[in-house]
Amino acid sequence: MPQNNYEYFLLMPQIIIAVGIVLSVLIEITTKKSEQILPWFSIAMFFGTAFYSVFNINQNFVLFSGMIEVGGKPAIFNFIFNIGAALVVLSSIDYLKKYGTYYGEYYILIQSSVLGMMVMSGAKDILMIFMGLELMSICFYVLAGINRKKLSANEASMKYFLLGAFATGFIVYGIALLYGATGTTSIQNLVENFVTYSSNIIFVLGFVFFLIGFSFKIAAVPFHMWVPDVYQGSATTVTSLMSTTGKAAAFSVLIIVLTAVFTFNAPNVFRPYFATISALSMLFGSIVAISQTNLKRMLAYSSISHAGYMAIGLAAGNMFSVAGIIFYLAAYAFMNIGAFTIISIVEGEDDSRTDFDSFSGLNDKSPVLAATMALFMFALAGIPPLAGFFGKYYVFIAAIQSKLTWLAILGVLSSVISVYFYIRVVVVMYFREASEDFKINISPYSLIAVVIAAFFILVFGILPDTLMNVILSALP
Amino acid sequence: MTFYDIIFYLFAAITLISALFVVSTRNIVYSAFYLLFTFFGVAGIYVLLGADFIAVVQIMVYVGGILILLLFGVMLTNKITNVEIRTGTVQLLPAAIGIGIFMGAVVAVMIWTEWKLEPAQIPLTTTKDIGHLLITDYVLIFELLGILLLIALIGAASIARRDQE
Amino acid sequence: MSSIPMEYYLILSAFMFSVGVAGVLIRRNAIVVFMCIELMLNSANLSLVTFSSYLGNPIGQVFVFFVMTVAAAEAAVGLAIIIAIFRNKKTVNIDEINIFKW
Repeated sequence: MPQNNYEYFLLMPQIIIAVGIVLSVLIEITTKKSEQILPWFSIAMFFGTAFYSVFNINQNFVLFSGMIEVGGKPAIFNFIFNIGAALVVLSSIDYLKKYGTYYGEYYILIQSSVLGMMVMSGAKDILMIFMGLELMSICFYVLAGINRKKLSANEASMKYFLLGAFATGFIVYGIALLYGATGTTSIQNLVENFVTYSSNIIFVLGFVFFLIGFSFKIAAVPFHMWVPDVYQGSATTVTSLMSTTGKAAAFSVLIIVLTAVFTFNAPNVFRPYFATISALSMLFGSIVAISQTNLKRMLAYSSISHAGYMAIGLAAGNMFSVAGIIFYLAAYAFMNIGAFTIISIVEGEDDSRTDFDSFSGLNDKSPVLAATMALFMFALAGIPPLAGFFGKYYVFIAAIQSKLTWLAILGVLSSVISVYFYIRVVVVMYFREASEDFKINISPYSLIAVVIAAFFILVFGILPDTLMNVILSALP
Repeated sequence: MTFYDIIFYLFAAITLISALFVVSTRNIVYSAFYLLFTFFGVAGIYVLLGADFIAVVQIMVYVGGILILLLFGVMLTNKITNVEIRTGTVQLLPAAIGIGIFMGAVVAVMIWTEWKLEPAQIPLTTTKDIGHLLITDYVLIFELLGILLLIALIGAASIARRDQE
Repeated sequence: MSSIPMEYYLILSAFMFSVGVAGVLIRRNAIVVFMCIELMLNSANLSLVTFSSYLGNPIGQVFVFFVMTVAAAEAAVGLAIIIAIFRNKKTVNIDEINIFKW
């Protein structure tokens, strides 16, 4: 319950999106031209929210009797979610036309999933986390299968739904045990008494269930079995949304519940868990990605290994590692959205042309696409001076500070392995003859999205300190 | 053994046995009906625990809503009259061993923990407290719940509808 | 309140949860897997109500209320997905859809 009306003003980002969802539904119902209106309405809303959050980054308050935090860390996450979603909407305008059918729900569902993410990243109560997570997940289940006439999309949707609901079961049971051990659902209380609770076996058990549930959501090994098929089967633009902002939202929750470890140097009792899943994810993702012939599937395995690199930060558990994870998530969002957008431009009408052969000789067909794709691949591989390099660098430094040198070494090793399959894309594009002759219709909107993503990658790569300083200043 | 104890064991038995049947029976329609008994058993235990409102909601939402929806799903995806509605199982042994270990660990933890909790005074009705919390502390979540239901409605309709040609 | 100790409720809930997890892992039909997920959610709800009534605070029951609503929304979406897949493929056995393929 708000203490005064000023709280509504501070909660403006969430309120803008929530009102926008309802307005979008009305636009969709009342006008025949919603196809032209809705995407631009969504983009305007996302940009507005993103900039509102960033400009109010210093207004750090907890609102609605300890329910939601605004400003500070959540503001940075809001920026990632909203800019990411805006780029995805931009790249969807012409992509959806390829399917031949217009789905107005598509934009409404993207808006609602962003609202769910924003609730998750600002949550100050475990119930709030749960509600945000479900809002996001239900939108993703539907978005994965939005092209309902295609069997692969149906299967992706069902697989995502069943394993997502399975993960929800674990999360709810974990929350039940946490509630039993602490008697409250407030995260403030959880953070303050984390050390006392850590010796309570019910609390630890509940926390582990909670972490298992979220390991599904961040796509870490051994809870990754849904990732390749879902990422491959869903529409390419939807995949780019799920793999970037969805992952960022899940990580934001893990950072929130482990605040005690990060901020107050409480002993990290869950370090073995995070170290294990991170080592497994990095190596598994990098090694399996080598043998892939489909680009979407390869990026799915690469997404698993990136979840591993980010989990190094969770295992390290110090203030610097949180900043590293947030930097990494921001960089990863732009790299991956860029790469998937290019795939969606090259992709044919029925999911064809997503394999390596279709990218051969791309440089001759479209030098711009080839150059930007090469940039994204170098960034994903972590080659300096691009944003992806600094993401990994900060996380590895944090691991060494926490005396987890072996994990950092494994991370470097896995990065070296991963260079192979990222560079292979570049080699195919530049040094191989086009195997089949098809014309690429470059949509201007998608190209704008690609250029914006590339711009952010270069800026974050050349001036990493700017973003890092903003992140560090936002953390308490 | 008091009257309460007998009721508890009765409902616990109903819940557990029908839950086991849900998982083990090979006929989907039977699974759905055993699930009905599980939901009823859990509702009974809620009443024993003094959660009257939740018990009623359990019956209304789970039995009246979700179970009916599940049965619709079963009926729509199987032609009851001529096609067999049987489902098989996979990976029985490894799963059974894994689950056995898992269950043993959780139950052992429950038993070993020294709960410092005494049963609280049962309130006459919990509805007022829940309603009060819903519109004060948890009002934000309550509003989000509204959006979630709207989205679920839109999403379900958009996936399940047939294309008009 | 009865003389039943709190552990009994929790153990019942843990058993139910394990049965649900086992069902998800061993059954092949999507609808049955979804029923097993409902079992898991029910067992979590049972734990929540137990804690709520022994701790004497209603937050647990409020959460159960939220979980039930979310479960209903999930059921609606899940059944829609199952119907869509059945329309295209005429089966809902997830074995043929390879759900646990690596």
